[in-house]
Amino acid sequence: MKNAENVKSASYVQINHEIRSIFAREGVILLSSPEAYATLEWTRNYFNQKPIEGYFIWVKKRVDYPISTCFTISLPEAYQNPTNLVVVEKDVATEIYSICNAAKPVLNAEHKGYSKVILRENSTLKMKHFHNWGKNDYVLSSIEFILEKGARLSSFYKCINPPKKFKIESKTTLDNESSADFETAVLAKNGEIEMYDSLFLNGEKSSGMIKLRMISDENSKISSQSEIVAKGGGKGHIDCMGLLLSESSFINSTPKLVNANKNAVLTHEAAIGKISEEELNYLRSRGLSKDEAVNLIVTGFLGEVPV
Amino acid sequence: MLRIENLSVKVHDKEVLRNINLEIKKGEVHVLLGPNASGKSTLTYSIMGFPEYEIINGKILFEGKDITQLLIEERAKLGIALAFQDPPAIKGVKLSHLLKRISKQPLDMNYFSPDNNLLEREINVGFSGGEKKLSEIMQILSLNPKLAIFDEIDAGLDVINLERLMWIIRDKLIRSGVSLLLITHRGNILQFLEPEVVHVLLQGEVVCSSRNWRKTWRTILRYGYEKCRECKKRELCPNQP
Repeated sequence: MKNAENVKSASYVQINHEIRSIFAREGVILLSSPEAYATLEWTRNYFNQKPIEGYFIWVKKRVDYPISTCFTISLPEAYQNPTNLVVVEKDVATEIYSICNAAKPVLNAEHKGYSKVILRENSTLKMKHFHNWGKNDYVLSSIEFILEKGARLSSFYKCINPPKKFKIESKTTLDNESSADFETAVLAKNGEIEMYDSLFLNGEKSSGMIKLRMISDENSKISSQSEIVAKGGGKGHIDCMGLLLSESSFINSTPKLVNANKNAVLTHEAAIGKISEEELNYLRSRGLSKDEAVNLIVTGFLGEVPV
Repeated sequence: MLRIENLSVKVHDKEVLRNINLEIKKGEVHVLLGPNASGKSTLTYSIMGFPEYEIINGKILFEGKDITQLLIEERAKLGIALAFQDPPAIKGVKLSHLLKRISKQPLDMNYFSPDNNLLEREINVGFSGGEKKLSEIMQILSLNPKLAIFDEIDAGLDVINLERLMWIIRDKLIRSGVSLLLITHRGNILQFLEPEVVHVLLQGEVVCSSRNWRKTWRTILRYGYEKCRECKKRELCPNQP
């Protein structure tokens, strides 16, 4: 473990149960969750239970670099159970990039991660979270966002190398004039993905969007339940799109809108189908093989085609 | 370059093209005329090899090779390129990415001067008619084809954009000796490109292939496409020029 001076980033890296590096510059406090729980009493209000591993990130000032976190499993049948807490202070804007992964394709590992993210008044957080697992792993990713007045959240969440079973849960509560945009892209193959997203528009003029992009490849099943509940007068939208690539693919998508405020507007759109022949023919007419065309459409659908 | 012999094509169990004969030599510009639903697009998709266009008779030869059974991408690699009338949107894929991926020759982007950050937008997502055509011609040129086919080249284009496209086609394709097959409904395109041959397609049959595009166009303007079937001078414009 090190706390480096003059480093131009903030980073947390944990392999199996060992913290390989943890450091942050001025403006960011980065501790292990057990240390934060022990030394910063106020954090106990946010940890649901005494953490055994994980990180605590406290962004107190605006910093001009992203904060990165990484959980890796490298041992067979290892079990990670991190509990993370992120607090972004009032008026502060920051970015966090996270990776959770297995170092090898067959480890039969298990990762259960619980995170809570508090965005104080008028703060902004851009979050990118990538999962990359082996074919026999089991993963649970559960995250709760609490947005205070005027806070803004943009979350991009992606998994294209899925575990055997993957459960993704998110719960978000929004106060007045806050906004949260979620974009989640997953690909399932020879396994199962379950997603549960709930967004509570509690404040006036709050807004939220849940955008799901799901691809079910062979022998896979994806189930998603997305709900937006409006108690305050805000706007919410659910956008679910799914692609089936194989005869043994399955997607079940359930959008749910609950409106308890006549000034709120909630909408949803959803479509699940196969790749259109027209798109395939178009790309093949440019000289791409059928497989290359499918790959390009799939990567575009998941929003990650580099230039 | 391209030779089509007695081609008959079925789409969804319906015969759409019957006994088509057509030959395009290297560097020639051919225009395909015909009313809506006469089978023009079917012919272009059949040349390109789209699976739902089932060839029930005849064959397609490209540079002497029978390509009737080849896959779309195999035909593209041989040098056949198709500009779509209404190309589909490919979400999440930037035009610059596709160009980079398919490019057989570098393009001078200053020449095309695409507006509205076109290259960095997702392919055909929210493109205007002019932007779609510009994207198509850039893709076609990237592929460095031997034969370029333009389906309904004038569809969705205003006069200025059409003129711009014509200049690009003349400058970059015709002058390089690329053979062309264009579908159009506009006389000014004929005037600009001065095709070697015009073909008239009626109810799935080529009823006229003429080396005198002015005469054919005048006939169509005066009497309509049906006149081409009755034309007493059809013998002067046989199916195979």
